[in-house]
Amino acid sequence: MAFKIASSPHINTRSLTSGVMFRVVLCLIPGIGAQTYFFGFGTLVQLALAISVALTAEALVMVLRKRPVMSTLSDNSALVTASLLAIAIPPLAPWWMIVIGVLFAIVIVKHLYGGLGHNVFNPAMAAYVLLLVSFPVQMTSWVAPQSLAINPADLNSSLQVIFSHSATMTSEYFQLGYDAVAMATPLDTIKTDLSMGLTATESLHKAIFSGSVGVGWFWVNICYLLGGLCLLKMKVIRWQISTAIIVSILICSGFGFLISPDTHVSPLVHIFSGGTMLAAFFIATDPVSAATSPRGRLIFGAMIGVLIYVIRTFGGYPDAVAFAVLLANMCAPFIDHYIRPRTYGHRSGNAL
Amino acid sequence: MLTLLEQLDKGTLWHSPGGIHPPGLKTTSNTQSIKRLPLAKEFIIPIPQVGDLATLTVKLNDHVLKGQMLTNGKGFTYLPVHAPTSGKIKAIEKRSSNHASGLPVLCCVIEPDGEETWTPLQADQASLLSNDAIINKIKDAGIAGMGGAAFPSHIKLNPASDINLVIINGVECEPFITSDDRLMREHANEIIDGVKIIHQLLKPQRIVIAIEDNKPQAVASMQKSIETLTLDDCKIRVTVIPTKYPSGGEKQLIQIITGNEVPSGAIPAQLGIVVHNVGTAYAIQDAVTNGKPLIERVVTLTGEQIGQPGNYWIPIGTPIKHALQHTAFQAQTQQKMIIGGPMMGYAIGELQVPILKGTNCILAPSNNEIGPDLPEQACIRCGECAVACPALLLPQQLFWHAKSEEFEKAASYHLQDCIECGCCSYVCPSDIPLVEYYRIAKSALKNVAHEKKQAEQAKLRFEARLKRLDDEKQAREAKSKAAADKRKQSMSSNDKDAVALAMARIAAKKKASAAEPGTESSTTANKKASVNAAIERAKAKKAAKAAQTDGPSVVIPSANTDTAVTDNTDVDPKKARVAAAVARAKAKKAAQANPQPEANLVSQSQISSVTATDSENTATPVIADSAEYAVVDPKKARIAAAVARAKAKKAAQANSPSSAQSTAEAVQIKTKQETTTETTDPLSSAVADNTQISEKTVIADSVDNAIVDPKKARIAAAVAKAKAKKLAQSQPKSHQPANQEVVSNDAVDNARVDTVQELSSSQPAIGTNEAPAMAELDDKKARIAAAVAKAKAKKLAQQQQKD
Amino acid sequence: MLSSILIAVAVLTAIALVFGILLGFASQKFKVEGNPIVDQAEALLPQTQCGQCGYPGCRPYAQAIANGDKINKCPPGGTATMEKLAELMGIDPQPLDEAVADNTKKVAYIREDECIGCTKCIQACPVDAILGAGKLMHTVITKDCTGCDLCVEPCPVDCIDMVEVKTDLSNWDWKLTHQPIQVLSAQQYEDKRC
Repeated sequence: MAFKIASSPHINTRSLTSGVMFRVVLCLIPGIGAQTYFFGFGTLVQLALAISVALTAEALVMVLRKRPVMSTLSDNSALVTASLLAIAIPPLAPWWMIVIGVLFAIVIVKHLYGGLGHNVFNPAMAAYVLLLVSFPVQMTSWVAPQSLAINPADLNSSLQVIFSHSATMTSEYFQLGYDAVAMATPLDTIKTDLSMGLTATESLHKAIFSGSVGVGWFWVNICYLLGGLCLLKMKVIRWQISTAIIVSILICSGFGFLISPDTHVSPLVHIFSGGTMLAAFFIATDPVSAATSPRGRLIFGAMIGVLIYVIRTFGGYPDAVAFAVLLANMCAPFIDHYIRPRTYGHRSGNAL
Repeated sequence: MLTLLEQLDKGTLWHSPGGIHPPGLKTTSNTQSIKRLPLAKEFIIPIPQVGDLATLTVKLNDHVLKGQMLTNGKGFTYLPVHAPTSGKIKAIEKRSSNHASGLPVLCCVIEPDGEETWTPLQADQASLLSNDAIINKIKDAGIAGMGGAAFPSHIKLNPASDINLVIINGVECEPFITSDDRLMREHANEIIDGVKIIHQLLKPQRIVIAIEDNKPQAVASMQKSIETLTLDDCKIRVTVIPTKYPSGGEKQLIQIITGNEVPSGAIPAQLGIVVHNVGTAYAIQDAVTNGKPLIERVVTLTGEQIGQPGNYWIPIGTPIKHALQHTAFQAQTQQKMIIGGPMMGYAIGELQVPILKGTNCILAPSNNEIGPDLPEQACIRCGECAVACPALLLPQQLFWHAKSEEFEKAASYHLQDCIECGCCSYVCPSDIPLVEYYRIAKSALKNVAHEKKQAEQAKLRFEARLKRLDDEKQAREAKSKAAADKRKQSMSSNDKDAVALAMARIAAKKKASAAEPGTESSTTANKKASVNAAIERAKAKKAAKAAQTDGPSVVIPSANTDTAVTDNTDVDPKKARVAAAVARAKAKKAAQANPQPEANLVSQSQISSVTATDSENTATPVIADSAEYAVVDPKKARIAAAVARAKAKKAAQANSPSSAQSTAEAVQIKTKQETTTETTDPLSSAVADNTQISEKTVIADSVDNAIVDPKKARIAAAVAKAKAKKLAQSQPKSHQPANQEVVSNDAVDNARVDTVQELSSSQPAIGTNEAPAMAELDDKKARIAAAVAKAKAKKLAQQQQKD
Repeated sequence: MLSSILIAVAVLTAIALVFGILLGFASQKFKVEGNPIVDQAEALLPQTQCGQCGYPGCRPYAQAIANGDKINKCPPGGTATMEKLAELMGIDPQPLDEAVADNTKKVAYIREDECIGCTKCIQACPVDAILGAGKLMHTVITKDCTGCDLCVEPCPVDCIDMVEVKTDLSNWDWKLTHQPIQVLSAQQYEDKRC
């Protein structure tokens, strides 16, 4: 007579990796909605494309690695990676860009490092950087907000733009024919204007900012913030990284703004434009490539925040989320090694 | 700023990090009062393993009384075990243990007589006893921590340092378990009596009874029983702590109550704190005031698969199967049977295991209660485990290193401070059995540490040995030097005389030793003979070895006939004797006539002349003995022995010039006595001339003996087996020595060849031949002989492999 | 022009001086007595003192390793020890000379009723783990036995066996998955229930 043997504990919260990942995707929905509303259907097309490519690539790799396919696919981690990359790249970027990006993220960044849980870098951000340095023109030509566009891109024209075949044609499409459709992001605009000798305040008077931090961008960031708060509430992520990023950006940009308001934009512009909120709640909090201890996460987040500000202000790229996250990823093992919680019983206790 | 003691009095609670809130599921079992089950058909009492100093005080089939001590021991951590009921010791054997490993341990199995007769109990009033007397009573009652760890309580009650705070642990934070809850509700006064005894022993300033807030009735009941209680210089209070797992862990509870942490690797007593379980307090009271040893405890039987869940007083040693049968247990597919709670309990694979002192719960959950075991997935480093860890470890890092078997790195992340509470596994979204990894890593680390310690020990012993050998050598040298000096001084004139004298002494000694066995009574002769035989055999073996290593020139004509073997079935003792004499004479002649082949053989065996004569001297009495036992006449035996000895002596004298000849003689002498068993064989005389008779004798002997005595038959069989083995080994060898190729007739012949080889090189045959003969008198020798045969077979095999 | 040359020379000299002093200081401060490699190598060896490496004990072999001998001569240590030695010495792992079939820990056991009391094994034992006297039965002190095998060969009656150290509760390795698991359905359970 024998019974089933297993190690204790015999009960579990029944929270699953797939559930965690799925909740991340769910919480992205408000942000995706806002992005679609302000920048057209391109985002949704990219999303569909990215997800299908990601799942196919993941399945193929698992077959090649002789691992169970279905259980890996159902952990939803590829879904998260694909979604993050899809919303990070310009909505009307040509189709092959997202395909290359997703393949790079899944095959090289994730599985060549040993699969889920073993990747050093955040796959979505690594792929974003690859695309950014390989195809700078396409990657920096963001869509104009629907309200400002002369010809707002509907679903049809979005598909047409994304799936047009020739690379040159696409770039021409952006630069010439649809000049009103494509334009620089607010951060890019500021950067260009500052280099041209304009003051930050003058730059902010441009139409794209409509007096605040940029048309659409503010709301997109607010939606990501909401989604992020939901994640916090569901305890999918912990508060340390997100808080550290936002606070450190606020502090740095606040300093800059106080010292030289002419050459530095306000902290509000920094945290509500570009990918700040997306990075703070969805990208930097990717547990695999982040630091793991609570204090370590604070340091990790603060590092990302400072890097974002430094690169935005002094670097060559208008937005710096991807670079900041990758640089922090590199430091994560180092942080983990040195920042450990003080284990129970390892402090100088005093007797009664 | 309040002092810690004041804060204790206020009931201040401190934060304890981590922890989880699993569903309690306690109502399954805590609604009814504690019941009893009918007596089991047998009780299994594991004999204490700790300290290795315990001895059983009972024997098989002894009758024991309820509460009778079954073991005796001395060690510091030793705890006696007691008979849980009166009855008979049915067996003392290895049984499956109530342990995650299920490895068998030595147990005393008691068959109850149903009378439940108590052994005389010594009831006392605790306040009248000295502390030592109380400690002794507690120790003799075998009281161990009842919370699960089963640490001997008397050690905790007799600490080296002063104790300021005693915490009585009624937290019971694991889901499902309610045994302490029910005990506190129903036996609060007894528990408080136990607390009083603890107070008397430890004289703490404060006693805190800690209970989780999900047990309001227990709190009320304990509260009520301490209302009237007054203790000298000590305040006692019930502190209600919030429900959180694992608040009931000793370290966590201390942190919650005092805010202090037990330093890593230390015990709470170093902080002036001692924690006792409520069940332990109850048992202490029972042991001291009633004199009852710890032979039963409250066990929670719960889970959806148990028809009548609840708490039961169950005698320790009751098989779990019995308890389940009486509580309407229904197994389902993939049933898990958990001892302890779902968080820290272990699953057992076998139900015929006993309830132990630390068994607080038997959980038979249904699959929806605990959920299925999901396959392990990749760690996504979500860090939830680090948040849940009450010891503030980094479980994912520990897992990482434990999985890749880098145990030292895991240790550098303080693996040893893991309390195995299971919180990390509980929250893990990837369903990684983290605790299992940690346990494996911990046990590996423990084994590594043990090995290291052993290696150090070995090194020390090795060095000590080298030193000893060196010292001995030096001492010897000094001694011989001194002796040489002395000799030099007295050497002046009569040194030659001295040498002659010494030689004479040695000769006399030799003579005496040769004469001894014959003159002694037959039994002592036997003994001596057996020792000699052993030595002889050893030599023979070595000779055989030597012969085999350079044996190409051993040429053995296989002229034997099988008739020799079968013919000597019925031997007339008288005829045998006569024939023996004849054979001896012939053998002698044969030896003189053709020493050449013999010499040839023996020269292969490379025995020096000294050993040859030696072996002869010692062998002769043996031969004589065995020969005469066969004839069954002690008197004649003596005579024959004398004759043999005389011959041996003569042979020795004659053969001194050549070693080869001497050994030849020796073999001949043996041959002679061996032929006694085959005298009726007409061929034997012819064979006797041949150098190979001895081999045949062996076979003859074994066949012969087989008829005489079943015992001998067995031995003979063993010998035969050994030979068969050798035969098997000799066959692959056939490609090298030419002589062996010659003898490729059949299996039997081959076997003989081998034996001959050995015999000719002076004498396993004695072993095989003599052993059966003496079997009636000494069965031990027979065994030795068998062992030798086996040994030979083995060594032969090795040799052949090497060749 | 000349002055700049002089300055360069002076600076270089100063730097050389500073580093020289630093180095001298470091060599004093972090001085290591003896040859640490030998001690470290010895610490890795299993201390069975079996002599299977061809050296009389573990320390001599450790010295030989430090002097460049092969690291694959220790069968009792097995591959694990060899790998650790390779790491210590910073060389490539070398496969063991003979295939070490099993690396299970063994100890010697004397079948006591067959022992004739010859003391040969006592003399052979490198760690004095065999107890006995001439013509009296011998026995192995199991906890001190290193399992070196050296006592087996000299025994004239071959009564010494190398027996595997059994797993018991004190050295069980918690590998639950290595236990035979048998899953019974309720029906089977009912059938088996006696």
